[in-house]
Amino acid sequence: MMTIVLTALQYLGYILIFPGFLFCFVIGMLLCGIDRKIVARMQKRVGPPVLQPFYDFFKLCGKETIIPAAASKTTFLAAPLVGLAALVVLQLFIPIHGFSAFSGMADIIVILYLLLIPAMAAMLGGAASGSPYAGIGLSREMVTIIACELPLVMVLLAVGKVVGGDAVTFSFSKIANYQLANGSLITHASLIPAAIAMLLIIPGETGNHPFDTAEAETEICEGLLAEYSGAPLAVYKLTHCVKVLTLTSFFAALFLGGIGTGIVVVDALILVAICIVLTIVSISFVHAITARLKIEQVFKFYWTIVTGLALISLVLAWYGL
Amino acid sequence: MFKKLIEESTAKSPWLFHINAGSCNGCDIELVSVLTPRYDAERLGFKLTGTPRHADIVVVTGPVTSQSLPRVLRAISQVPEPRCIVTMGSCPQSGNVFRGSYSVAGPLSKYVHVDVDVAGCAPKPEAVIDGLALATQILKEKRAKK
Repeated sequence: MMTIVLTALQYLGYILIFPGFLFCFVIGMLLCGIDRKIVARMQKRVGPPVLQPFYDFFKLCGKETIIPAAASKTTFLAAPLVGLAALVVLQLFIPIHGFSAFSGMADIIVILYLLLIPAMAAMLGGAASGSPYAGIGLSREMVTIIACELPLVMVLLAVGKVVGGDAVTFSFSKIANYQLANGSLITHASLIPAAIAMLLIIPGETGNHPFDTAEAETEICEGLLAEYSGAPLAVYKLTHCVKVLTLTSFFAALFLGGIGTGIVVVDALILVAICIVLTIVSISFVHAITARLKIEQVFKFYWTIVTGLALISLVLAWYGL
Repeated sequence: MFKKLIEESTAKSPWLFHINAGSCNGCDIELVSVLTPRYDAERLGFKLTGTPRHADIVVVTGPVTSQSLPRVLRAISQVPEPRCIVTMGSCPQSGNVFRGSYSVAGPLSKYVHVDVDVAGCAPKPEAVIDGLALATQILKEKRAKK
């Protein structure tokens, strides 16, 4: 009986504190704050304080929540929470050095599905708001997701092939253990194109510049979020921040595993450092030097250049290089 | 404690929504210059939003023509509380050189409560930042009263 209670408490701690909700909240917001600061510095501005996303979040919590007359109330309010919950669960599957809160036989496939849920939730919420801007945003979000998903799956297949040998593996713990034994996968020559492809997928999945066509605020009034205000909007902003953390730590676990000491706290700090560097490289720099693309350009970019890079990796991995 | 946190954050993260009520475009350009590297209002947390639902501060430029009046009022009513209305330039405040014209319905203060007036044709970016900073304090007070 005692052990059951203890295990339940342990999992509750995983979900609510580390590496679950609280960790995602603080580090995700911090990453977004650093991103905004770096972009500002690159544009020769002073930039907002690093804690700006926290201020935005708490301010939005204190605002009035308006529900449009045309909206379907339950879906409109539940959608942001579903998206956030899916991302927090996803974070539990990502190994930190040797430690992972949840693990399973084919957790990579679970992660692929969980990664879709926030986008689907945003689309559902946008559709439920009854705004025509959200309608345009919805179709663009759908195209962006389809564009990102193909190269992402190919990257994961290439990694699985290198780690699994004869049988492609979809187990994250196997990938982590392989890297503990043989060093980071990024040193593997055949996986370098896949790593570059993954770096290009991160801003697309998070909806950052230049792939933020679905939320183009100057063009279609923030698209899916056009009708949101107050606390639900705060949850959407938080979801975006957590997504940055999730994808960068996903990259770290896939390609930069095996860096660490074995003490969970130190490893978590190392992971945060890696996530900050990845955010700056793949989100801030790209944001500062590009302008927003049109939706067909986003699609073309992902299905030619990024998919091409992933395909090169897949072929090399298949021939065992 | 949580209430205090929200109040502090309200003053530090004001998002702007800009309405052009028949402006000559001079004030609109000055508002954009406030966000450029030289003045960089983002260091105070200011951000331009695309929809009134996300906004805290509504910036109105132009003399409020009779065509734009119903749209301006509708956009302002869509901004969630607490909100602040700032008029920019002399036009929405007094009508400026367009005063008395058959097509001008302004000044704006005849129709809604205006919190801050930034006068000038067009006002200097420093004056705009000053007005907006005043508006954030008013926002904070409004939030505290709730």
